[in-house]
Amino acid sequence: MASSAAVPFWRAAGMTYITYSNICASLVRTCLKEPYRAEAAAREKVHFAIAKWAEGKPEKPSYFNTMFMYSTYLFVGRFKKLVDRKQLS
Amino acid sequence: MPKLDAAGAVILVTMLMPAGFANRGEGWEDAGLQVALLEDDDVPEKIAVWMLMISSGMSIMPLRNLQLQPSVFPLKAAQSIPAFSCLVMLEKMIIPWTVGIHAGARIDVKKNVIITISSDKGLCGGINSTSVKMSKALYKLTSGPEKETKYVVLGEKGKVQLVRDSKKNIELSITEIQKNPLNYTQVSVLADEILKNVEFDALRIVFNKFHSVVAFVPTVSTILSPEVVEKESEAGGKVGELDSYEIEGGETKAEILQNLAEFQFSCVMFNAVLENACSELGARMSAMDSSSRNAGEMLDRLTLTYNRTRQASITTELTEIISGASALTG
Repeated sequence: MASSAAVPFWRAAGMTYITYSNICASLVRTCLKEPYRAEAAAREKVHFAIAKWAEGKPEKPSYFNTMFMYSTYLFVGRFKKLVDRKQLS
Repeated sequence: MPKLDAAGAVILVTMLMPAGFANRGEGWEDAGLQVALLEDDDVPEKIAVWMLMISSGMSIMPLRNLQLQPSVFPLKAAQSIPAFSCLVMLEKMIIPWTVGIHAGARIDVKKNVIITISSDKGLCGGINSTSVKMSKALYKLTSGPEKETKYVVLGEKGKVQLVRDSKKNIELSITEIQKNPLNYTQVSVLADEILKNVEFDALRIVFNKFHSVVAFVPTVSTILSPEVVEKESEAGGKVGELDSYEIEGGETKAEILQNLAEFQFSCVMFNAVLENACSELGARMSAMDSSSRNAGEMLDRLTLTYNRTRQASITTELTEIISGASALTG
């Protein structure tokens, strides 16, 4: 049985390393002073639409944008809620 | 000259930098590394070659020896991205590690996911078709008994072409990426989504690498999942050189490599998306340029024909009138 003692808290909560480093990066961005903060905010913008395909047909696409991204991160432990929120466009 | 793969280079830098500084340039300096910003004049040829071979994994086209001259990244954005700059000084870093990771391209696995990167907008020449052709060729190469290959498509144009005959094999399709200028955050969230939704043993990213404004090389970058890396490193071969490094902290290599594999995927994806965007802009420029030139030539030819015809008809009318008049008087 693999040891789970060494698993960091965020992996136990279901986050990937990418999610974790993004949250850290956005925290660092909010620590910046004014002129740099505006430039850094431009680097945080996210927008794309992702659609899952099943049996050769696309399902309704769900949109990702910056505000939505952070709202999902806030609910790290509660996976079901994450999945439900993804259904909102 | 050993090939420095973005995958291996990124893994190296991850080890050296504090976690959480994934996106900021400061992290590199903290780790004691020097960031070399690329200036066009200063780039020695060797470094330019590193830069341009950044994500070369397997190339299906017959491998001509890529003799690259110092080439310029036209996009100002590309020049300031830390990922590009940092890979420059990694040339001096430990090579066997990167060679081990780089060799992932030729490894045969059961579950392949082909990520095709294309553009949303058209009028960009043939690059989307070449990406799709390469993905289809890769699909044929990686399919077989007990093997499974799926597509993840980025961009409208690629989706439209793949839907024509490979509808059943598409797993995810992603559009509207280019709405904001490209940044790492967007691509990493995208990579995260892909990781969450797709099971894979190996990810093959197909994109157009920017060679020069008129030349784009379709390339494939491979990311192996940690379990496969572990299996292959035990089996020996190039990836087996991973064993020469002691990995502390967990029972299996796969646990430790999980973070690195995810970060590697996100960075390689970022590189691929950027290169593809560069190629798209270059292709659009040359396509528009050649179509303007063709239209101009056609315009010139037609103007000449028009003038000649007009003059001929005037001459005919004149001769008729003159001959009629002379018939009356004469």
